[in-house]
Amino acid sequence: MRDQLFEAIKGHDVEYVDIRVEDLVNTWVIFRGSDLDSIGSSRTRGGIVRALYKGGWGYATFNDLGDLKKQVREACLTAKLVGSGKTYFAPTEVVVDCIKARLIKDFRQVPLADKKALMEAYNKIVLGYHEKIQTSIVRYADSFKSVWFASSEGTFIEEEVPDVNIYVGATARDGDIVQKGFESGGGADGYQSVEGFHEQAATAAQKAVELLSAPPVKGGKYTVITDQIMTGVFTHEAFGHLSESDFVYENPQMQELMQLGKRFGVRGLNIIDDGSYPGGLGSHRYDSEGVRMRKNYLVKDGVLVGRLHSRETAAKMGEPLTGNARALHFNHPPIVRMTNTYIDNGSVPLHEMLKDIDLGVYAVKMIGGQTAMEMFTFSAAYGYMIRNGQVAELVRDVTLTGNVFETLHNIDAIGDDLQWEPNGPGGCGKGGQHPLRVGLGGPHIRIQNCVVGGQQ
Amino acid sequence: MSLEKIISKSMEKAQSAQAVMLSTETSTVDFQFDRLKAAESSQRTQIDLKVIVDGKVGTSSTTDPSDVEGVVSRALEAAQFGSPANFDFPEPQSLEPVQIFDPALLTLEKPEMISMGQQMMDMVKSYNPEILSGALVQKIIYKVDYANSKGAKYSAKHTAFNLGAGGELVRGTDILFVNKGLGQKQRKVDTEEIAAQAIEYFRMAETIAPIASGEYPVIFTPSGLVALLLSLGLALDGKNVFLGASPLHGKIGQQIADPRLTMVDDPTIAFGPATSAFDNEGTARRVMPLIEKGVLRNFIYDLDTAGRAGVQPTGHGTARQLTNLVINPGETSFDDMIKGIEKGLLVHEFLGLGQGNPINGEFSLNLFLGYKIEKGKLAGRVKNVMLSGNAFEALKYIEAISQEREWVSGPFEYFNGLIPYIQVSKLSVTAK
Repeated sequence: MRDQLFEAIKGHDVEYVDIRVEDLVNTWVIFRGSDLDSIGSSRTRGGIVRALYKGGWGYATFNDLGDLKKQVREACLTAKLVGSGKTYFAPTEVVVDCIKARLIKDFRQVPLADKKALMEAYNKIVLGYHEKIQTSIVRYADSFKSVWFASSEGTFIEEEVPDVNIYVGATARDGDIVQKGFESGGGADGYQSVEGFHEQAATAAQKAVELLSAPPVKGGKYTVITDQIMTGVFTHEAFGHLSESDFVYENPQMQELMQLGKRFGVRGLNIIDDGSYPGGLGSHRYDSEGVRMRKNYLVKDGVLVGRLHSRETAAKMGEPLTGNARALHFNHPPIVRMTNTYIDNGSVPLHEMLKDIDLGVYAVKMIGGQTAMEMFTFSAAYGYMIRNGQVAELVRDVTLTGNVFETLHNIDAIGDDLQWEPNGPGGCGKGGQHPLRVGLGGPHIRIQNCVVGGQQ
Repeated sequence: MSLEKIISKSMEKAQSAQAVMLSTETSTVDFQFDRLKAAESSQRTQIDLKVIVDGKVGTSSTTDPSDVEGVVSRALEAAQFGSPANFDFPEPQSLEPVQIFDPALLTLEKPEMISMGQQMMDMVKSYNPEILSGALVQKIIYKVDYANSKGAKYSAKHTAFNLGAGGELVRGTDILFVNKGLGQKQRKVDTEEIAAQAIEYFRMAETIAPIASGEYPVIFTPSGLVALLLSLGLALDGKNVFLGASPLHGKIGQQIADPRLTMVDDPTIAFGPATSAFDNEGTARRVMPLIEKGVLRNFIYDLDTAGRAGVQPTGHGTARQLTNLVINPGETSFDDMIKGIEKGLLVHEFLGLGQGNPINGEFSLNLFLGYKIEKGKLAGRVKNVMLSGNAFEALKYIEAISQEREWVSGPFEYFNGLIPYIQVSKLSVTAK
């Protein structure tokens, strides 16, 4: 493959060219209710050529690997149609490397029949949990991707990317009220990461049934404590996306808003994106431009100190490379993305945080989150009211919203119990590239004056 | 590689088989931050195979047309453990004639697409030079081939043309994004009209209007109606109905919405964004009423769900998605709707769609782009506001439906449809 790729980009007539080819085999097993909904496997091959000329990009994406030279020509022609300015493209070390997958239990060797039997067992646990369980979803997916990357600068990287994940969802119903519970898991190190999920399957069902009798939270402003997963979602959604410099690098007003050195939160608030974090869902040795991933402080002691870059945005802003240009797959060029983003541990234990709250909301786990620069919204799977310093009754429909700049300043306690979100079928979406694997995490945190949506 | 070869290879072991091949060529030009940023040419082929062996279903797909052996053997393996087939692939059917191919798009090349994008961007810039503008022009030519072991064989060549214009405006810590797009299967799309609509959304947001928490009348723009349609779509999904998860389960023939509300799924509209004569399971598509004068008429089914539920498939084989959703116009003009409101909201775009519990109808959405209506006039953009309620309740309390309708389609939308403005009598608003 190496010779083939270098041969294809040889003799190009633009400033820079790279080519990425991928081969992916995946299998899936899905149960919905008592029935097997879908089972199968597929194979996807394809590639993308990027050509850079006078600041303009030309892309060619394809899954016919027959004539790579033609694809390079097409990308170069297109780049020349686009480019008319100055090229910004930060230099990076030329590397030749090969990253092999290390699997404890290789899911490719597990017969489809075994995968089906295991998911069926989880599904039975959900459906048999309680008479009010209406239906279930058990989704298993694995994929093994081989990626080859070559650039006109001489870099060649071969990487194997394995992934296996599971989602167990339960739907409970009582009259017109329908509620859901879910658990997810998996990892990059093999099939064993989805085995032994029986207890979590029961937990998903239990939560759905419990939520049937939980009242919706009353809308209003509360002191909110988020659990580790919600902290991770908050960090990713509300702050992380603002650190992606493709939003900033050609936008003077945004640069002013996100000026390095500006105070964003209390002392002791540290926000980090670390693509080299061992075992992180968003970890790789290199990003999709062949730049080494690393640990990048975004906020240090409450002060903005860095942001995430591609080779283009780093050059344009005159800041160091961070290794954050990532592509979902060969359909897409790399764009600036997070890897594993987290708030680092503070020193306040959860019981200390709770102590002073007369009336508040404890938001637990996430359903999803979305942001539009300074505005964010995210939904907890469920929550509890906090009354007189104690975690009190279960509530549903907990959605937090706010302005990130205000909300970061309103964090007044940072816990000491950092945890990462488990693997699952989800990921981050941006620019049509979804779901990209990212790690989310943090300790419990307390936010003052946080808006919780809902009927008054 | 012909689909017949895949079918006949499959039939050595299978009792039934179907294969669908999608071949796509796309050209895109993308403007960001006031300049042409990138252009892309894309070629894609995908083959999806579904087989029935001993009454069980197996599926497989590949992007490599020469991989006949691989795709067939993986589907056959999957079928050994597959779900029971509650259906068989359909016999050849007569198809409605549809207009889905515009030869005028064949000759459209990137230089001209670039000047179309530039023109939209220039219009936005001339309204306000401080806007960092963007634009997208995309042309797609694709071919769908369908074949099954019952002898059904269809082929359709589509064109598609997607346009988008908009940008972002930053004032202090206030950031405003506006994107307006349109997608049709023909070239006849007015770039000026799209840019003008984007400008209108900027214009209405020139001032920020405070609003207190409370209950207000709310007008949904055609795009904004997604807040309600998301729940309705899930509830109309035959699978959710069959599984008992849909709150509309058992309500066919009952009044579920205001009697002025009539909506149909229409896959036959000439050059409509989702127009097509057959679905990816070989079922002919037909115009289908969903709600007539507020009365629930039909759910949507694919082959498998229809088989399980014991009903006819409705031609919604692509994950049971609606095609072109058409809502009948009402009798009030949009202007009169606004004029009639003392204090309320016009809502267009949200954050947090699909979070929470959409199938239940409950929503709690951050208003990404919404406007205050005061004393019969638009009074500016509202911020830090959440809109909460229940979609099924809201559809019962419709105050007015506009005479005007707009196409909702293209790169920035969640569904395809021809939709009026709809005013709901009151919804709960939480303001910060």
